[in-house]
Amino acid sequence: MEGRGWSRREFAGGGSLLALALGLPSAAVYLEGLDKGDAPSDRQRAIMREVADMVIPDTDTPGAAKAGVGDFVLLALAHGLEGSRAALAPDAVSSTIRQHLRRDGSLDHARWLENTLDRAVGGDWPAKPAERKLEALAAIDAEAFAEGAGPHPWRMVKGLILTGYYTSEIGGSQELAYEPLPGRYDPALPMGQDTRAYSNEWTGVDFG
Amino acid sequence: MAQDFDFDAIVVGSGITGGWSAKQLTEAGLKVLMLERGPDIPHQTGYTTEMKAPWDMPFRGEGDEELYQREYAVQRLNRHFTEFTQDHFVNDAENPYQTGEGSDFNWFRSYNLGGRSLTWGRQSYRWSDYDFDANRRDGFGTDWPIRYADIAPWYDLVEEFIGVSGSMEGLPQLPDGKFQPPMALNAVEAAVRERISARWPERRLMVGRTANLTEAKEGRAKCQYRAICQRGCSFGAYFSTQSSTLPAAQAAGNLTLVTDAVVEKVDYDPATQRVTGVRWIDKAEGRRRSASARMVFLNAGSFNSVHLMLNSASEAMPAGLANSSGVLGTHIMDHPSTLSVAALMPGFEDVTTFGNRPTGTVIARYRNMDEMDGEGHTRGFSYQGGALQSAWVRGKREAGLGAEYKNSLRAPGPWRMVLVAFADCMPRETNRLMLDRVKVDADGIPQLKIDFAFGAEEHAALAQAKADAADMMTHAGGQVLMGFDRPGTGGGAIHEMGGARMGHDPATSVLNKWSQAHDVPNLFVTDGAQMSSSACQNPSLTYMALTARACDHAVQLLREGRI
Repeated sequence: MEGRGWSRREFAGGGSLLALALGLPSAAVYLEGLDKGDAPSDRQRAIMREVADMVIPDTDTPGAAKAGVGDFVLLALAHGLEGSRAALAPDAVSSTIRQHLRRDGSLDHARWLENTLDRAVGGDWPAKPAERKLEALAAIDAEAFAEGAGPHPWRMVKGLILTGYYTSEIGGSQELAYEPLPGRYDPALPMGQDTRAYSNEWTGVDFG
Repeated sequence: MAQDFDFDAIVVGSGITGGWSAKQLTEAGLKVLMLERGPDIPHQTGYTTEMKAPWDMPFRGEGDEELYQREYAVQRLNRHFTEFTQDHFVNDAENPYQTGEGSDFNWFRSYNLGGRSLTWGRQSYRWSDYDFDANRRDGFGTDWPIRYADIAPWYDLVEEFIGVSGSMEGLPQLPDGKFQPPMALNAVEAAVRERISARWPERRLMVGRTANLTEAKEGRAKCQYRAICQRGCSFGAYFSTQSSTLPAAQAAGNLTLVTDAVVEKVDYDPATQRVTGVRWIDKAEGRRRSASARMVFLNAGSFNSVHLMLNSASEAMPAGLANSSGVLGTHIMDHPSTLSVAALMPGFEDVTTFGNRPTGTVIARYRNMDEMDGEGHTRGFSYQGGALQSAWVRGKREAGLGAEYKNSLRAPGPWRMVLVAFADCMPRETNRLMLDRVKVDADGIPQLKIDFAFGAEEHAALAQAKADAADMMTHAGGQVLMGFDRPGTGGGAIHEMGGARMGHDPATSVLNKWSQAHDVPNLFVTDGAQMSSSACQNPSLTYMALTARACDHAVQLLREGRI
């Protein structure tokens, strides 16, 4: 797993090209190119898709599942986006986390999430009723963002879910507004209840 | 004029200063060869990601961190290095350099046509006599052989040609220039400007003076407020070699541009005490080539110009080209910089903006001017930053799931203001460039070794900057969230300069007041390598002005038959 080959950056074979032609979410296509050690299982893909949709569900705009966010998160985790393949600091390693560490000290977040959710419901998380599933995830979220909480793997996963959603076409141009060619700068406009942020307001994304 | 030479002048490098050399020299009627080490990136058609949305990119604009860790270990640390811009930065694995023991330096580079003019921050500020007199006044470094009056007309020329938008402020420490109309301050910045001025009249917040057009000129459209400049701009709305100086040089005729040409040596003839041309590696063909010229302009970027001079050592000049003083490579600088404050700015909940302004705000230097009021330091610092509304990324810091959480991230978030300090870097002999004695690059050229550390003055300046910044934000109605007083790793400002400093005395400096080597009258170094001090403002405008000035002088000397 460590000393990973780099073939995953290449597109996989004809299956991927077919998927591209059919317009499947691109992250799914790239996932096919991952090395075995990094390739998520079908179960992990199903869990991540559902978890992402619980964070950002359908409202008057489509949610994370329709935007293909689950697969993006898994791709991002495999490639270490946002520091997700960095070795964890010693104080961030609890016993439940230790069992999901890779040899290089980084955390396999997908396996951690799968395992943590199963443990939280005392069994097969995907098979539980929707309410029970949401309750388990909400508890993890509350723990991760509790005041004074230390580093928590859920923060990384949730962060990548947001990245995946708001940089998707659905999140970036339907939920938020997208104006690639503003053509002018208005320094002071009234803001009301219905004002939508622009997903291409890059400074706010960088420093916000 | 070329006579027995292939060219009148060879310009090494096509970046911010190389483009200016090519323009000025061709417009004076000279036959010029400009060599660029990297590939061609043609204006407009070469900006391959310019119009793409995040969802068009495999890694949504963040890029493949796995690839970056392996091949862009330094460049990935640049805020403007993204999946959209990665091809405008060097591959670190292919372009190695070394740092000395106890040194750390992030060397951000763009090896392509236009160099870093494609990716620069565009902030354009004049230096004042507080800056040109700094070395004389406190004794660090060597006295500049020029003052503001020497460069002022060249600032005029450069500002008018490249197009700098900015406001007239009447500040002696940050002289006004030939500006296009300024971009606007947003509502928060406008209020903060008033509140700070009311309490501290000598502290002036203004919109950043930036080389983005607010009025169209010469085949270039005005800024479209996208703030994605580093991808390349088909509108030509910011200054780059491609949008501005290269078309002018090509229009003048007599320019030969060669890309993929890594210059490895400048040839020196001890009999005439002149340089005679350069030799380069043709990366496309994989062979070595050379050309002769009556004079050579080094515009390879501060560190690479010095590297080339060190690597051009000869029997006659064993310590490096034009290095009889022995100071070549020494006194390198980069602005120490840090986020001095980030503050929440309540009271503006009903106001937002439209469009992405490609510049921030600046608070001009106010310390150590006529009164020495710096604590532990003798020079200046200024702040760049601005007020902005937080984006969806705020959700990463917040608990929540579901529709309510999603809806809470839909509108622009609370206003914040950030001030990032840039301080003077003192010129120190121990901060220096050398050729590594062992390690070579893929072409067999010795790698550059960088020794660099900030000292007590830089730390003191940033400590005062942090305290002042918190005071200003609090007074302006903000709630301070955080602030830092330690400089980041050297190189972080991407203002690395010095190494072939100007000075009065050939025994203690490399260049004279015309950016001309004391030892070699037909060798000019007009990029950042020539700088004798750093000031605390962005240096590119000064490099350009000094380049135009040096070109004018060189052409005169050539016409008079003196070189």
